[in-house]
Amino acid sequence: MSITEVSKAMRDATAICGVGLTIGSFPDRTPLSLATEAYLLALEDAGLEREDVDGIIQLSYGADYDRFLEVVGADVRYANQGWTHGRFIAPMLQQAAMVVASGMAKAVAIVHGRKGRAFGQLADHEMWRQGLGPHGESPPYGAFSPAFGVATAAQRYFHMYGGSNEDLAPIAVAFRKHARLNPLAVRTDPMSTEDYLNSRWIVEPLRLFDCCQNSDGGACIIVTSAERARDAKKPPVYISGMQGVHAGPEFHNLTLPGLGVAQQEVYQYKPTKDDLYAYEMAGITNKDVDALITYDAFSPLVLFGLERFGFCGPGEALDFIKDGRIELGGELPVNTSGGLLSEGHVVGWNLFIEAVNQLRHDCGERQVKDAEIIQYGSFLGESIIFRR
Amino acid sequence: MKPSQKMIDEETGRYLPVIYPEELPYWKGAKKRELWLQRCTDCGKTLYPIGPACPRCLSVNLQWTRMSGKGKLHNYVVYHKPWTPWFKDKVPYAVVQVELEEGPRLTTNLLDCPIDDIKIGMPVEVDYEDIPDGITLVQFRPAQE
Repeated sequence: MSITEVSKAMRDATAICGVGLTIGSFPDRTPLSLATEAYLLALEDAGLEREDVDGIIQLSYGADYDRFLEVVGADVRYANQGWTHGRFIAPMLQQAAMVVASGMAKAVAIVHGRKGRAFGQLADHEMWRQGLGPHGESPPYGAFSPAFGVATAAQRYFHMYGGSNEDLAPIAVAFRKHARLNPLAVRTDPMSTEDYLNSRWIVEPLRLFDCCQNSDGGACIIVTSAERARDAKKPPVYISGMQGVHAGPEFHNLTLPGLGVAQQEVYQYKPTKDDLYAYEMAGITNKDVDALITYDAFSPLVLFGLERFGFCGPGEALDFIKDGRIELGGELPVNTSGGLLSEGHVVGWNLFIEAVNQLRHDCGERQVKDAEIIQYGSFLGESIIFRR
Repeated sequence: MKPSQKMIDEETGRYLPVIYPEELPYWKGAKKRELWLQRCTDCGKTLYPIGPACPRCLSVNLQWTRMSGKGKLHNYVVYHKPWTPWFKDKVPYAVVQVELEEGPRLTTNLLDCPIDDIKIGMPVEVDYEDIPDGITLVQFRPAQE
């Protein structure tokens, strides 16, 4: 299967022109005020007026999109709202690009505000869904939290390929090093391999330092046409290629196909050309990627992201992450902001914003030298190729 | 047994299963200490999670069938953090995935088995645990050879 002409026309047709981000602990704020602050920061960053933004996309957590628009006094001609899960952030950014490319809006703001334990969140109920929770949770058996899905996946990975929890240490240690160069990061204490191994078990084979920290915060990303983005205050960050979240019984959430989690088949997963069409759309291969940004709510997801996009073969990721290869200055820097593990977790929007900051060459001490292409790519196959 | 949306037993703090109407035969079976799942009468697949169609052939001709109760341990994880107060004196405890002889994998606990004795591939057999609200949970234990 080759990609279509329409798909090729999407290459570099749209760009990110403004971003705004806050991460931390804001006990006296609401999701609505955090969303508003991020929106104002992004407008300022782009040099746009409220009236220049005629589309809005949101994942629900606090207030709905219409309440947010009421707050900022904006009428738009394109609005949509999705359901908050980390796997839905790439589809939302992709939708913003498609909306702009098709002319349904000139500029779309993706807006998010979140408080870790705020009133009215749905996640507390999801685990009772018919046919188990979204990460395989089963409350009467004590199978709680998304950690369950990824712990079962990691255990199967170790069973199939060898290795154990201690082999995950280079991930948390590398991302902590990155976070220490990031003024916004929430976890910045130094972390040695020994510190990692001394952190307490949460759901074995996962330790505390294998798990992200859910943060309060706000994020906003403004997408517009490549042409308009070139007139913005900062250099445009083009959306060059993209591919969607793969789903179905073989793609059980928080694992890689083939690991035999829940009802998955057991086999060694290796991506085919059809599994990697974002590269074709962008006209690159994974060798052109200067840094990889991947969804790391839990450290084993980094292994799955690397294998999903063929940076290494099946079962090879535990070796790949060794010897500083995924650190700044290494062969493939990964999650240069510190990722969700150490920068903080704003549903993952902060991962996209790191890609933007890197390609603007705005990252100071943690800048990937001469970065031209950064890939967001995660274990479920969703990806966005960003280009300077 | 009736469908139930009660998520927590207020007296003990134990989390309960939500009992969906189409899943009643499973829960009634467990109450009789029997394991029942749906089998597709067109292609023969036994399915789980319980659902309205066969994921292999898309047939809606499903028949509740009694399982042998035999299987092997496919996967396990160990909880050290008690997510609710009820689990405070239960940690560390294991949650396991059992692959039944008939094919599907169920998420349960492994009764009467120290955590250090849990091994992927070990033979297991079905057991049952009575919990509050008149509900019986399907559980597993090491097979008695």
